[in-house]
Amino acid sequence: MLKILTRVYGKGSAIRPYVRTSAYIFRQCSNWESGIEKSVVTSKEFKNPFAQKTTTATENDHVESPALLSLNEKERRLKVLQLEVDIANQEGRRVPSLDFFNDEHWETVLTLPSKSARMKYYGFLWQVEMKKQAKQRKKEERAVATQERLDKLREERENNEHIIYGLGHVSMFLRIYDSTINHWMNHRLIRAMQFSPKLVLDCSYDEYMTKREAENAAKQLMLCFADNRSHDDPFDLHYCNVNLNTPCMQKLQRYIPTMLNIDFPMNVHQKCFTEIFPKENIVYLTPHCRTDLVEYNHDDVYVVGAMVDTVNNEPLSLAKAKRLGLRMARLPLDNYLQWGAGSGKSLTLNQMIKILLDLKQTGDWMTALRHVPRRKLLDTQMESDRTKRFLTKRANQFTVHLDRVMKEDESEERPNVRSHKKNMEFNLSTWGSKRKQNQRS
Amino acid sequence: MKVMSRFLRYSLLFNKSVFQTTAVRGASNFRKPNVIVKVDQLAEVKGTFFKNRSELTNLEWQNLKDLLIKNYKHINRNNVDAIIVGICNESAQLTLAKSYLSHLRANGVEPNDATLGKLLRIYNSVYHARGGNEDCLTLEEQNEILEIYRNIRRKHEVLDSLSCENLILGLVGTTHWRDGLELMEMMKLTAAPSLPVLNEMTMKAFKMQDIELGWKLLHQMLDERKQPKCEVFLTYLDIIAKDLKTLPGELDKFFIFLKTHDVVITTKTANAINELASKHHKLFSCTLTNLKRQGKCGSCGLHLENVSLSDVDFHRLQDVFLEKVLIRKDVFQKSTPEELKRFTEYIERTGPYDCVIDGLNVAYSMGSKKPPQALANLLASVVKYFKNRNKHVLVLGRNHMNKWPQKAMQYVKNNAAVFLANDLSQDDPFMLYATLKSGQTTDFFSRDFMRQHAHLLGPDLKLIFRRWQQEHQYSLITQTETGKILVKEPIRYLICAHKVQDHWHIPYKQEYEQHVPDSFEIPEHWMCIKINK
Repeated sequence: MLKILTRVYGKGSAIRPYVRTSAYIFRQCSNWESGIEKSVVTSKEFKNPFAQKTTTATENDHVESPALLSLNEKERRLKVLQLEVDIANQEGRRVPSLDFFNDEHWETVLTLPSKSARMKYYGFLWQVEMKKQAKQRKKEERAVATQERLDKLREERENNEHIIYGLGHVSMFLRIYDSTINHWMNHRLIRAMQFSPKLVLDCSYDEYMTKREAENAAKQLMLCFADNRSHDDPFDLHYCNVNLNTPCMQKLQRYIPTMLNIDFPMNVHQKCFTEIFPKENIVYLTPHCRTDLVEYNHDDVYVVGAMVDTVNNEPLSLAKAKRLGLRMARLPLDNYLQWGAGSGKSLTLNQMIKILLDLKQTGDWMTALRHVPRRKLLDTQMESDRTKRFLTKRANQFTVHLDRVMKEDESEERPNVRSHKKNMEFNLSTWGSKRKQNQRS
Repeated sequence: MKVMSRFLRYSLLFNKSVFQTTAVRGASNFRKPNVIVKVDQLAEVKGTFFKNRSELTNLEWQNLKDLLIKNYKHINRNNVDAIIVGICNESAQLTLAKSYLSHLRANGVEPNDATLGKLLRIYNSVYHARGGNEDCLTLEEQNEILEIYRNIRRKHEVLDSLSCENLILGLVGTTHWRDGLELMEMMKLTAAPSLPVLNEMTMKAFKMQDIELGWKLLHQMLDERKQPKCEVFLTYLDIIAKDLKTLPGELDKFFIFLKTHDVVITTKTANAINELASKHHKLFSCTLTNLKRQGKCGSCGLHLENVSLSDVDFHRLQDVFLEKVLIRKDVFQKSTPEELKRFTEYIERTGPYDCVIDGLNVAYSMGSKKPPQALANLLASVVKYFKNRNKHVLVLGRNHMNKWPQKAMQYVKNNAAVFLANDLSQDDPFMLYATLKSGQTTDFFSRDFMRQHAHLLGPDLKLIFRRWQQEHQYSLITQTETGKILVKEPIRYLICAHKVQDHWHIPYKQEYEQHVPDSFEIPEHWMCIKINK
C-alpha cells in the first residue's frame, strides 16, 4: 500500500485528469473493439470447431450421469453414502461430520466412481473443515485482543486534545482509492491493446481436466490476468476458444464477475486463435516439442495452452499444434537452470505469463526464468556443502578404521588422544619449526 | 545448432548467477524440515492404561476419555468412543472393551454404530485366536453379536460398506454367518466387497464344508483382482484332507484354479501341501525343486510347457492394437495420419519380419550421454546379431537418426528394413504393431516394459498382451568392452502353475503380496507334484 502511495504521489497533481483521460480512451476502445471484432463473446454467429466439441462433450456428460440413476435409486444411494460418512466419522477417520456437507458436496460424492475416490474426497473435505474450525477459533481469539486494543486506543483519544496526524486522519495526501488504481492499471492494459504484442491463452482443454484441475486452471487464469495487468509493460492478453459453460470458465466468472462487461479490458473469444491472428505468426508453446525458444520475437503471437495436467499427461497441446500445422516451441528450461530431483518441470499458467512478460521486457532468459519456483531447482551451494560434509565424514571413518587395522596387535593400549605432542617439552626456540629439528637430528 | 551451442555455453557461464538471483529473492534456500515421525501415541496410551488390566473403573474411563480429547486434535466427543474401543483391538482385550461399553451404558449413553462395529472386530480376532472353530465363541458371545447385528439392521434399511464389513467380521463367528452373503450384496451398492470380507467369508465357507460356496467366492475374489490370503488355502487344504477318497480330485481342482487365475501361492501353503503329501504319499507325491535351464524341471526332468496364445486371442490383439494404443482419440498425439499411412504401407511392402528392433531403445540402453558413433555402433551390432542368425529384421527409429555416422547407419540400412518416424512421434506403438502384424512367430527387441501401452489395452487384453510380450520380447543385457553384446532371450515357457504330462508344476513365493507386480521374472521355487490315479 505504502509503495503504491508514494509512487502515485510522485506523479503529483496529475492524477485526476489522468484517470479521466484513461476512462475516455477506454470507452473509445471498447467501442472500437466491439465494432471491429465481432467475436467478443456476445456474438454467436461464428462456429468454432474446438469450442463446439467441448460443449457437446460436457453436455453429454451432464445428461448421462443423472440418467444412469433414476431419482429413486439416487435417493437410496445418497442415504447409504450418508450412513457411510456418519460411520466413518464416528470411527475417527479423516471424514468431516455429517452437518458439514452441503448439497453441492453430495452432488460431487454421487459422481465419484469408487470407494477410494470417495475416501480421498472426504479427506479433502475433512481438511477444509479442520481449517475452517481453526480459522474460527483464531478469529475469536483475535476479536478479544482487538477489542482490548481498541478500548485502550479510545481511552487515549479521549484524553488527547490535539489534532491527530497520519493516514486516515489529518494528512496532506489525498486518499487514493483501490478503484483509482484499478482505473490506472486498466488504462495501461488498454494502451497495451493498441501497441503491445499479443499473447493467447488457449482455453480449449476443459474436457481433458478433472473438475478440481479445471478449478485450479480457472484460478491460474485469473492470476494470469492480474499478473499481466500489474506488470509495467503488459501483453495484450487474449482468451481464445472459450466456452462459457465449462467448469473452468464458470469458476473464472466467479473470480472475475465483470469479465464479460463491455468496458472491462479482457479479451474473451469463442473463436480459435488461428482465425484471429495470421497463422504464420503463431507459435504454440508446448513442453512436449523438441525445439527450444531461443529468442523472444516481438512479431510472433505466442499461445499458451490453458490446462492443468496433474492427472492426464498426454501431449494434448502438441497434438493440437500438430493438427493445426503451427510452429511450436518450448522454454529452454534445461539450458538455463539446474533442475533438482523430485518435482517435475511443470509450471503454472501465471508463472508462464510472468516469464514471458519479463522475457519480452528484458530479452534476458536469466531474468525471465527467476519466476520458476526455486524449490524445483538444485541448490548448488547447499548440495556441494552436503557432499563435502559427507565425504569428510566418510574419510574420518575410514582413517579411524585404518588406524585400528594397522595397530591391531597393540590396540588395547592405544590412547584416544593424539599422542605425538604428549611428551614434547615446550621450547620457544624450536616451537613451530618441526622440520628443522628433524633435519638437524 | 550454432545458436544452440552458444546458449549452452552461456548457460554454463551464468549458472552461478541464477543462484545469486535466488538469494536476492529470499525464499530460496527453503527446504522442508524432515518430518519427525511421531511414535504412535495411542499405543502408548494402551501401555499405560490397559496393561494387565481386564477392566477399568468408571472414573478411569472418564479420565482417559478427557485425556484423549484434550491431547489429540482429531479426537472429539463424536469419535472418541470408537477410537477407545479400537485401541483394545487384541483378542485378550475383549473384556476391556466390554467394560468400556458398560461404562457408557452406565452413563446413559447408548454406544454408536461405529463403536459396536469395532467391538465386532474384536470378537473376530477372539474367534481366530481361539482356533476359528464353530463353537469357539460361547453361546452368550454369539448372542451378543447377533443382537448387535439385528439392532443395526433394524435401524437402517440399507447399510454402507464400512458397517457391512464390521457386521460380516462379527457374523463369521456365529452360526448365522450366511447372513453375510446378503450383506455382501448390500455392499455392492456402494463399493466392491473388500479383501478382508471376502477372505473371511471364503474361509468360513470352507470351514463349514460348503465347498461350492467357497469356490464361488474365491472366483469372485480373483475376478476383482484381489489376492486371497494363504489362510484361505490352508483352510481348504485342511478340509479336503479329511476325505481321502476325494482328495486327489480336489487337489486337481485346486491346481486348475491356480492355473486359470495365475495365482502364485506362498511358502506357507506350499509347505502345507508338502506335509500333506508326506502323510498320504500313496495318493500323491510332491517335491520342492528349482528349474534348470530352458524350463527343465529339476525333479522330473520334463520341460515346462510353451506359452502359446490361441489364434483367436492373438487376432483380437492384432486387430485392436493400433486403434487402442496408437490412434486413440487423437492420432496427432503420437503420430500424424500421413505418417500412419506411410507406415502401414511400408510394412505391407517389406513385411513380415522375424524380429522388430526398437532402434532408439537399443542405442540408448547403454546410457544416453554417449556420442552418436557409439549409439550407432550398438544398434549395428544388434542388427548383426540377428543377421548372423539369418533373420529378416525391421529397425524402427526417428528421423534424427539420419544424422548419426553414415558408416554404421549404412550397415543397418543394408541389413535390415528401416522405418524412421517423425521426431515428435512415439515409436514404441509402431514397433509393437509391426511385430503383431507379422504374425505369431515374430519377436521384438526392446528393453522397455511396455507398461504404458499394456495399460491402454484395457484389463482384458492386457493379460493377453502380457503373455505375448513374455513370449516375444528380446532385450539387451549389456555390451562387453570388446563390443560383444549379451542378449536376454524371451521366456518361451509358462511361468504359472500348469500340468506337463501328469506332473503339476506349481511356482511359489516367499511372502504374500496384496498387489502382484507384473514382471516377467521366473519364479525361483517350484513344486513338482504327481497325483497317483
